[in-house]
Amino acid sequence: MSALGGSGPAPGGAMDPVSSVIGLVLAVVFIGVVFILAPAALMPLLGIILGGVLIGFGVHFVPVGGAPAAMGQAPGIATGVAMLAAGAGLAGLFGGAWAAELGVVVATVTGAIGGGLMMAITCLMVNVIYVFGMGIPAASGKVTKDPLTGDTQAEYKSQGTEGHGLPFISFVGGVVGGLFGGAGGTLIYLMLLQVYEQYLPAIFNAKVEEIMPMAVSLAGVFAIGLFLVNAVLAAYNITGTIEGPHDPKFKRFPRAIVASLVASALCGLVAILIVVVNLNI
Amino acid sequence: MTAQITVTEGGISHNTLMIYGLVGSIVGIYLTYLNTVTGTQLFSFFGGLGAIAALIWGSSTIKRLCSYGIGTGVPSAGMLAFGSGVVAMLLATKFGIASPIVALVLGLVLGAILGFIANNILAMKIPVMIQSIAELAAVGALVMIGFSAMATGSFTFSPLSVIPVTVLGATANSFGTSLIGGGLLAAIFMLGAMALQHGFNACLGPSEKQDRTLMLTAEVGFLSMLMVAIFSFAFIGIGALIVSVLVSVIGWYYTYAQYIALSRRDAAAWLDSKPIVEAEGH
Amino acid sequence: MVENIVFGIGITALAGALAAVAGAAEDTESDIGSQGDPNSQVQLAPQMGFIHRIFNKAVAGEPPAYGLWCALGAGLAWVFLVKDVNPVLALILGATIATFVQGAYATSGYLGRTASLAKFGQPVYIDILKSMLSVTMAHAFVAIFTTVAMCYLMNATLGHPFPLPLLGLVWGIALGAAGSATGNPFYGKERQYQNQKFGAGVPISASGNIVRYAEAGQRNSLDNGWFSAKLGGPASGVCFGLIVFLELWRTILFEHIAAGWGAIIVGLAIILVFVVIDRWVEVYARKNYGPYTAPEEASS
Repeated sequence: MSALGGSGPAPGGAMDPVSSVIGLVLAVVFIGVVFILAPAALMPLLGIILGGVLIGFGVHFVPVGGAPAAMGQAPGIATGVAMLAAGAGLAGLFGGAWAAELGVVVATVTGAIGGGLMMAITCLMVNVIYVFGMGIPAASGKVTKDPLTGDTQAEYKSQGTEGHGLPFISFVGGVVGGLFGGAGGTLIYLMLLQVYEQYLPAIFNAKVEEIMPMAVSLAGVFAIGLFLVNAVLAAYNITGTIEGPHDPKFKRFPRAIVASLVASALCGLVAILIVVVNLNI
Repeated sequence: MTAQITVTEGGISHNTLMIYGLVGSIVGIYLTYLNTVTGTQLFSFFGGLGAIAALIWGSSTIKRLCSYGIGTGVPSAGMLAFGSGVVAMLLATKFGIASPIVALVLGLVLGAILGFIANNILAMKIPVMIQSIAELAAVGALVMIGFSAMATGSFTFSPLSVIPVTVLGATANSFGTSLIGGGLLAAIFMLGAMALQHGFNACLGPSEKQDRTLMLTAEVGFLSMLMVAIFSFAFIGIGALIVSVLVSVIGWYYTYAQYIALSRRDAAAWLDSKPIVEAEGH
Repeated sequence: MVENIVFGIGITALAGALAAVAGAAEDTESDIGSQGDPNSQVQLAPQMGFIHRIFNKAVAGEPPAYGLWCALGAGLAWVFLVKDVNPVLALILGATIATFVQGAYATSGYLGRTASLAKFGQPVYIDILKSMLSVTMAHAFVAIFTTVAMCYLMNATLGHPFPLPLLGLVWGIALGAAGSATGNPFYGKERQYQNQKFGAGVPISASGNIVRYAEAGQRNSLDNGWFSAKLGGPASGVCFGLIVFLELWRTILFEHIAAGWGAIIVGLAIILVFVVIDRWVEVYARKNYGPYTAPEEASS
């Protein structure tokens, strides 16, 4: 796997307690900095952290098979995991941003539904292609029976492959991943929008309606950047391919939650500092 | 089974490229400050040149990181770089004339923490991980600030967010038509992210040569610079625009011609309308 | 929010149609160019000794690539719009310049990867470059233009708060993800490995043995595009078109019911409908195609 002799990612889901504690301490420090410099932005920062954790966790549900899936050799969707999750999450963010004026709860749930809807349609079309275009039934290579439907998998797996298509558990995993990703991305966007609507008018000496394009664009670009960071970190945790929540790799998710927590706290801190640091130079 | 990522030895060392890229990029971005000194916008294109210097540095970093086999593909490293880079860059623009230096430092710090998260919390245990992610985040921040400076003529927060608009003799502030307010940052983000990873990703393979990879990075860098020059149509005057476009086109044409020549040098054969040349034993 | 519902529904239908065309063009373009996960087979074949005449476009995956083209096209259109250029002209100019960038990326991807396979004797076929490039750029233009036009409609007529470049990025990545997920298996398994048995996945032992001599002589990417445009392309179009249409439809019709909860409930209902349809498709395959081996003999 590695050309230069690195040992590669650790097998299994073992959490390194020392680094995790260091990471959590760092996160507390970041939250503390915001608490001191901009107390009104404390709740939004916690919201951003929650959004990042939702994204990191949600990515683990999405079934991705990588290059073998494109040949019918492995179950899952034949796309990169970070970018597929980004596609779903951003489609959700689109819907959530549109509903931003209806309140945080409604907008976040709308974003979740948007992401879940995109994944549902995409996963359905993947199965339609496999079944009606290629004549291949869905089968998983990691379990003998589908946990949700009880269907046996082994005899529907073609010879020489690890499975193919999207068994029902993978389909549901994909939808759940889209729900979480859409919710997380939208939550980050809404929290940052809140912070910017509060602080930007003072910086520019303008009314809230005037600076709205700035607030929306800044929050949107940050949401996308944070989404990509969290999705790539989760993809590193998964090491590329995963069949869905039934895959043994899924048990690695606690590390990803800690990782997303720290990364989102850090990036959220920097995003909030933009409106706090006013050196006028 | 997928294509292997193999490491080719030789060529300029990574540290040399890092120094040149770092210095070149900071110098290039600072040269756009001549705009403020001279009161024109003619020097905006230096921001683009600084960005290309950073891209070349970053391309070497990606090659180093991905040769350890990180499990995901090359493009995700570029996404991580720019995702964290845009965060660092936007805060850095608030520091006035120190913005490029702050972008570099902030990018390194941000990337180092993200690298720690990836290497230790996610247990990836790759020797160069923390340093590489730190470098990539810094590259991301520098490329974004360089291209933003090229598009608008300045690298501080106010010119990037507010455009004074004169309507019927009265000047008002327009936020929606600025680089950040209009969302053009998203286009620059993707331009940089794809340019960063394309050099190594497109030249991936057992016969990869460093000069060809870096030439390709320079080519997509100049291509992105050309796009940013067209972006600057909305922000700077026509004279500066023509200068930017000319520099970009000349740079792009030169690097593209060189890249095709290098590919011709390295290819097994350069055939036109010939059938499949079967390998031995097939 | 949209004041006039009828106007909103009309724009929704138009946006859905544009999205369907975009999805179909995107998938056909990425199959002619051979991008993303199936392209790893095109890369692998020479390493296993199978020299070929397929275009090896190594430009990341489809989501980030289309994220770039659409964000770039939208950004360029935004610049022209700010300078008071006619909107239609701005969209066309933006899409054209973005297509030019796509062409440069595609060319450099092919040259780079193939030159780096020199060790295995894979030549660079210049006629492949010349023939395929214009076709893949044409399909890319269709995909980029329809996506950017759709984003413009969302921003200008439906009143979405995101500015045009940001919408271009969002929908570009979504387009790439949807088209890639739907179209890649069809191109990868059905066309690249057409010599394998229909109705089963490609065994691992056959990796790299893609079809190189086929019905019209030595196979090239235009043959692949011709094939995948029959099912993979339209399926991707249906996928992305449904995504855009249903997302806009449920928002415009139901957003004002129960302060936003109406759209949420309708969205949830649509998801459940798709879950049911998927289950039906899965059971259909199991019942009508049957297992490959008898259940007791199969090993897990």
